[in-house]
Amino acid sequence: MLENQFKSVYEANYPKVIRLCLGYTNGDTILSKDLAQEIFIKVWQNLKFFRNQSSISTWIYRIAVNTCLLELRKKGTVRLSNQLNHLEQSNDNFSEEKEAKLKQLYKCISSLKTESKSIILLELEGLPQKEIAEIMGLSHEVIRVRIHRIKIELTKCVKK
Amino acid sequence: MTTFEELKSDWDNQPKQNPPRGGSELIVQKINGLKRKQWITNIVLLITVLILIGFFFYVEAYNNTTVTFALFLMVSSLLVRIIIEYFSIKKLQEIDVTVNSSVFNDNIIAYYKKRIRTHYIITPIIIILYSLGFILLLPSFKKYLSEGFYTYIIFSAIIILIIMVLFFRKQIKKELSIVKGL
Repeated sequence: MLENQFKSVYEANYPKVIRLCLGYTNGDTILSKDLAQEIFIKVWQNLKFFRNQSSISTWIYRIAVNTCLLELRKKGTVRLSNQLNHLEQSNDNFSEEKEAKLKQLYKCISSLKTESKSIILLELEGLPQKEIAEIMGLSHEVIRVRIHRIKIELTKCVKK
Repeated sequence: MTTFEELKSDWDNQPKQNPPRGGSELIVQKINGLKRKQWITNIVLLITVLILIGFFFYVEAYNNTTVTFALFLMVSSLLVRIIIEYFSIKKLQEIDVTVNSSVFNDNIIAYYKKRIRTHYIITPIIIILYSLGFILLLPSFKKYLSEGFYTYIIFSAIIILIIMVLFFRKQIKKELSIVKGL
């Protein structure tokens, strides 16, 4: 039964998790897949302790943020991918201009401080600020101010 | 002019990454593999200890106090190091990843600080005790082994010691950089 529950949790959350990982790894697909696997191993190990105190996706995001930060720290610096493989592997036609814009966005995200990176990635994923605050363990007010500042920083960086 | 909303729209328009086929089954398989690996590690550790104890009695090392003491120093220092590492890795795996990021960060920093303390205090003591045990064994080596083999043992011991020190140095440096980055 737990295995079935895990399967549905995995299927429903994998796309979100992998995209978050791509944000942490500067678009490195292989590294992101490894990280996603590590995250879901932890999801499976902890699933029996999940008590519905928060939504399952917030709970998974918490595991994802913590795992990404720790694993990437252990690995050292992650170089910026020359190519965003996940764009090339897709069937959608991505114009060079769009790809360049995304590459610049990844580059700018990678230049942010660790905590800011987590906050803005969650914001880009469209999470409500209250949930971001819960994941980061900061007050709603602090998150609101931080998001405002990071948005300005990121927009400026992308324009360069 | 680029606005954050445009960046968000670029972000959203990235192609969706679908889960690999059979991905969840692979994860469950991997976890079972990890459990098996843990089991094998435990058994290997246990067998090593049993072999060492058996060897101790087989060579009747207890008849020679210096050799007994020297062997005890070498074996126990190595065992202590292995046991510390084993429990340390276990502790890292047990750190709760489901808590919020601030709490997790504090827990990880506390874990690595403790590890660094271990490296700075216990590891040098272990290396000294191991070397002392080896030095105490040298007269016996000289008495029972050929000169060529005796020289070989001394040189290889020095090389092993250098490699050990370099390895621990690298590990400490890596863990210090983890703490700094958190």
